Amino acid sequence: MRTPIAYFLVVSAALFAIGTVGVLVRRNALVIFMSIELQLNAVNLALVAFSRMHGDLTGQVLTFFSMVVAAAEVVVGLAIIVNVNRRRRTADVDDLNLLKW
Amino acid sequence: MPLDNVVFWVFAPISIGTAIAMVFQRNAVHAALFLIVNFFTIAVLYLVLDAPFLFAVQIIVYAGAIMVLFLFVIMLVGVDREESLVERLHWQRPGAIVLGLGLIAEVVAAVRAGIGFATKAPPHFDQLANKGGNPAALSRVLFRDYFFPFEVTSVLLIVAAIAAMVLAHRRRGITLAEREAEAVGGVDGSRTEPLA
Amino acid sequence: MLKSIWIVPALPLAGFAINLFVGKKLGRWAGILASLLMVASFAVALGVLNDLLKLPAEQRLFVRHLYDWIGVGSFRAAADLRVDPLSMTMVMVVTGVGSLIHIYSIGYMHGDPRYGRFFAYLNLFCFFMLTLVLAQNFLFLYLGWEGVGLCSYLLIGFWHERPSAANAAKKAFIVTRIGDTFMLIGIVLVFLRLGSLDFSHVLVSPGALAGPVRPSGVYTIIALLLFAGAIGKSAQVPLHVWLPDAMEGPTPVSALIHAATMVTAGVYLVARTHVFFEISGVALVVVLVVGLVTAVYAATAAVGQDDIKRVLAYSTISQLGFMFFALGLKAYAAAIFLLVTHAFYKALMFLSAGSVMHGLEGEADLKKMGALRRAMPVTTAVFAIGALAISGVPPFAGFFSKDQILAAANQTGHEVAWLVALVAAFFSALYIARLIFLAFSGDDRTERHAHESPPVMTIPLGFLAVGATFGGLLGLSAVTGQLQTFLAPVLGEIPEPSAGLSEATLTAISVVVALAGILVGWFVYGSGKIDWMALRVRLASVQRFLAGGWYVDDVYAATIVAPGKAGSAFLAYVVDEGVVDGIVNAVGILFQWLARVTRRVQTGFVRTYALAFLLGAVALLVYVGFRL
Repeated sequence: MRTPIAYFLVVSAALFAIGTVGVLVRRNALVIFMSIELQLNAVNLALVAFSRMHGDLTGQVLTFFSMVVAAAEVVVGLAIIVNVNRRRRTADVDDLNLLKW
Repeated sequence: MPLDNVVFWVFAPISIGTAIAMVFQRNAVHAALFLIVNFFTIAVLYLVLDAPFLFAVQIIVYAGAIMVLFLFVIMLVGVDREESLVERLHWQRPGAIVLGLGLIAEVVAAVRAGIGFATKAPPHFDQLANKGGNPAALSRVLFRDYFFPFEVTSVLLIVAAIAAMVLAHRRRGITLAEREAEAVGGVDGSRTEPLA
Repeated sequence: MLKSIWIVPALPLAGFAINLFVGKKLGRWAGILASLLMVASFAVALGVLNDLLKLPAEQRLFVRHLYDWIGVGSFRAAADLRVDPLSMTMVMVVTGVGSLIHIYSIGYMHGDPRYGRFFAYLNLFCFFMLTLVLAQNFLFLYLGWEGVGLCSYLLIGFWHERPSAANAAKKAFIVTRIGDTFMLIGIVLVFLRLGSLDFSHVLVSPGALAGPVRPSGVYTIIALLLFAGAIGKSAQVPLHVWLPDAMEGPTPVSALIHAATMVTAGVYLVARTHVFFEISGVALVVVLVVGLVTAVYAATAAVGQDDIKRVLAYSTISQLGFMFFALGLKAYAAAIFLLVTHAFYKALMFLSAGSVMHGLEGEADLKKMGALRRAMPVTTAVFAIGALAISGVPPFAGFFSKDQILAAANQTGHEVAWLVALVAAFFSALYIARLIFLAFSGDDRTERHAHESPPVMTIPLGFLAVGATFGGLLGLSAVTGQLQTFLAPVLGEIPEPSAGLSEATLTAISVVVALAGILVGWFVYGSGKIDWMALRVRLASVQRFLAGGWYVDDVYAATIVAPGKAGSAFLAYVVDEGVVDGIVNAVGILFQWLARVTRRVQTGFVRTYALAFLLGAVALLVYVGFRL
């Protein structure tokens, strides 16, 4: 492979930043959650890139675990969103402002 | 031009492009679909990085299971719910964009200071790390060195499943009126209006 | 028996304690108990006096050490009691007249809801007064001094539901405080310059002082400062304004405190410390002038008063002025003689006035009295005795004491002072004659049905009348009276006559002046030949001037009280409420503002919190990046 590893890291950083912007700018809870998934994937990419660079499979193992945990997290997170939607009839995050002063 | 270079230069921009597109979709379903494409591109990038097992797992788990779950919930919540463009928090968008760009800049600077933009991947990865093929090598590391975390994650998955069942459980036997009241005000007196 | 002198003040102190705690339960017995304790105190004092007289004249001094009160560094003040002729004279007056007044109060205060408390205060007062006169050092004396001031406040304001009474009590306390403060400075100076506060150590000529001291001219200052305290306590000009208002208190209080005992504390003080005044010379002149001025001023003011008790109040001020006049002439024994006789006849007159008011259900205005001699014969008789005594008509007590003082004035070269004193004597006779004739003779102007007072009140009056009649025997002749001889070891001899008229001439002149005053009083108020009510209307401005005490009170109100109130108002509202409270409130407001501003961080929107996270993370990364 002739691509410098740094390029993969730049892609990872870009995806991460885009995911962050998505979390901050969007109001729909599901789209926010999807942006979080994007962030997780960006990190996974970086991990695999480093694993390739160091010649050590630890990075790939970590990525594997990250995917498993992400799956579990999605399950629970979506259940919460379903619950909130059932109570408040909204998917808009701005409506959940009870902690305002 | 070497093949992996071409593959990279095709799929990396697609990846970034679909990510940006996902963020800007007003419809949640469209966003989900763009994300799926993004996952595919990332999977290909895994392949470029000599991680074929993860390539497969990415497609199966992420694109296949997680995004499907997402789509189910979007259906449940409301497919045609369009998010309005009006942003009430004035500094949110400019702040987010500036900080996002800052983040990228920092990582680029860190990478430049760290490994530099010229370092290529060391050769002979397949002979050393991926001996016997990537799944076999991965299993060697996974079931030997990281066996305990593996078992713990299995427990985690069970717990997650139970949690989902508990959280999403709908009480049987309450009337429609009670359900409506619950939705609006909370029968147990929980406040739904902000204090201000 | 000398050693038991401590019992004399201890008995009234016990009475105070008992009446304070269980007075309510004792009911009628509170007064009887208090009076019995005072009588017992008098009996013990008699025993001590008896023992004292057994000693030869030069050795009549006994110090009873109670306990070491204060000992700090080189400063020592012990709780010691001094038994000598002067202190025993005062003790007899306090316990004797005090007992009679206690008995009188049993009847006078009958039915008052705070009956027990009254006797507790009265006993406490006697305790402090006895401490004052028996003290062997300045600090112990000051303890008694302050204590009687406190009791005076409590008793003047006894009926504190009346705002006028509460104000009078405050006024008394504050005005005497002014004097007390100067006195305290004087006491401090005594210690600093003369080395000790003990009477046996400091009341000696400068050459005989023990210890390393440098008196040099400080005697004048000390004497004047102590005299300032006396001015306040004995109601001399200019600190006399509290005494007329102090008549708001019950009449027994006026009799005991503001006639016989507390106000005489100043006279006692100057007599006790006369050594300082003699060494100084200047101070003695000041005492003389103040006394004389006060005597004349108060006598004129008394002529214009309508309230029977206020006449007596100004009369007291005037008589105290006479006493200080005598002190200024170095006739210390004469001053004490007047003090004793004055105690009798002034207490007699106050209690009689109380009897009159009791019989008229509280009426005290002379304009609304008249022809009381028919309804209240006993009271009329004893009042008349007191009036003759104060006018200086022989053979009543007042004649001998006043005559002695006038003689001392004339015969030591103070001719002008003597003449002024004669004027004061004339007015003394005038105002008391006016009182007698307006109240007891003439037309009946009362609107109530008068009746005589019960025996529990009239019997003590009888005792006092006896004292007022025969008390003169104590100092029978001008120079070699028994009292003077008794006091001589302490107070020295009366100055020898050096010039002036003869004894007989002087006596005749003073009697003539007294009779002249009575005659004028009878002519205007008693004979019916002059319409005094019309005269009063014609001379209304003069009458108001005299009645207002030459408007001294109003002058004080304008020049001292009003600026003081303005100053207090400024400090209270501007400084305390404005600045101090303002600062405190400002701190609170500052935090409220701070909170109002900073709580806007809590928007309730998850997204702003997320933005904050990112901001922090990026900043941290930048920092770490720069560090590395």
